Parts: sequence; structure tokens; C-alpha cells
Amino acid sequence: METNFSINYENKVVKVTLSGSLDAKRAPALADEIKKLIGKDIEKIVFFAKDLEYISSAGLRVIIFSKQKIGIDIKLYMVGATEGVLDVIKMSGIDNIMEITDTYEE
Amino acid sequence: MADIIMPANMENFDRLMDFIQVEAENAGFDKKLVNKIRLACEEIIINVINYAYPDKEGDIEIKCNSNKDGSGFFIKIIDWGAPFNPLAKPEPDINAPADEREIGGLGIFLVRKVIDKFDYTREGNSNILTLFKYLS
Repeated sequence: METNFSINYENKVVKVTLSGSLDAKRAPALADEIKKLIGKDIEKIVFFAKDLEYISSAGLRVIIFSKQKIGIDIKLYMVGATEGVLDVIKMSGIDNIMEITDTYEE
Repeated sequence: MADIIMPANMENFDRLMDFIQVEAENAGFDKKLVNKIRLACEEIIINVINYAYPDKEGDIEIKCNSNKDGSGFFIKIIDWGAPFNPLAKPEPDINAPADEREIGGLGIFLVRKVIDKFDYTREGNSNILTLFKYLS
């Protein structure tokens, strides 16, 4: 199962669209892309997770890392995540650092 | 019982994970539980790949089978590295603010959360980690 992700930065908002598996093999590529944003003026990072089927601790670490590295004041959003993915997010306690929503309005 | 053995490296990661997924599906777990089993096994597999063989190549073996009455499923993950029990690590403080959180322990914390029973044994020169999950 391949993860394809896309990442877009515009008007202080980073949009990351996730699909497939975000696991130990695939998370590093996303972390690399997020590292490129360090130092930019960012208010929000929005993860679109409707098509994300599986996330492991390696994937969760990228989300935690994005807040740690880009700025502790930025807002994180997780949009449209499936029940299984949300379970893992809640188990790990990182629902505390993000807003979980069904849809995202500009 | 199903069994797979191969060199413990990232190139084999997908094959190891696919093996566990297929075996867990065959045992009758629904998609959500299959993913929890994958989550736990991924942590252990990554631990073996990254740490079991610091200065040589080595193998990882995974054995899966259902228990006698069919109510659950065992996964044994075996390596031949130095004695190491990943589950002996302390739990992370999941309520710590994001900027203070210790990142490394999260995976093992999740293994403890999603798996019903686990057991570590050192047998000869092998580490054997056994995970058990009830079907429901």
C-alpha cells in the first residue's frame, strides 16, 4: 500500500493531503517536506485525511514534529479522518494538540 | 501456522507488514483490528530493523497462528541480536505539551494499548516477542 501525499503552502496555510499508509517507510518523506517549511510564516497546517487508511507512531511523530519544528503557536487541523485513524490519534493523546473536524472551510 | 523469515532491513518492511496483514485478515479480524495489529507489529519490526544488528546483517522471523479455541491470534517476532526487551521501556507522558513530549516512547506506548497480552523471552541467542490479540 503506497502513501501518496501532496503538500501545498499558500497564504500562511500549509495543506497536506494524505492517503494510503503513513508508516515508518513513508513518514520520512513527509517529514522531509515539512522540514522545508521551517522558518516560513505559517499560521495553520491542515491535514486532509479522508483517504488515509493507516497511521503508525512514525506518522504521528511527523504530526507532532510539525508543531515542534514549525512553531508551537501554529494551529493543526485533522480533517475527515476515518474512525480507525482517529482511534490511533486519540490513543496517543495528540488530539490535544490539534483540532479534529469533518470538513474544512477556507 | 504461517512463518516468514528474511533479512531485517527496510527493503523488506512492506513484505513483513503485508504478511502480518494477510495473516490477521485470514484469522478473521475486521479492518480496524487488523490495523491495530499492524500498528503494534510495525513498532517491533522497526525496533529490530534499527537496533537488533548494529554492526552486522541479521534476520527477522515472524510466526502467526490462532490459539487453540480460535478466540485469538499470536504473533511471534524473533531476532538474533543482543538481548533486548522493547516493552521494558518506560511509558511516555502523553499529556505533556507537544514541545516537551519525548518522541521515542510513543510507539511502545501504542503497542501496550492495542495488544491484549505480550511476552518477551530470551531463548538461546534469540529475542522472542509474543503479541496476543483477541478476535473481539
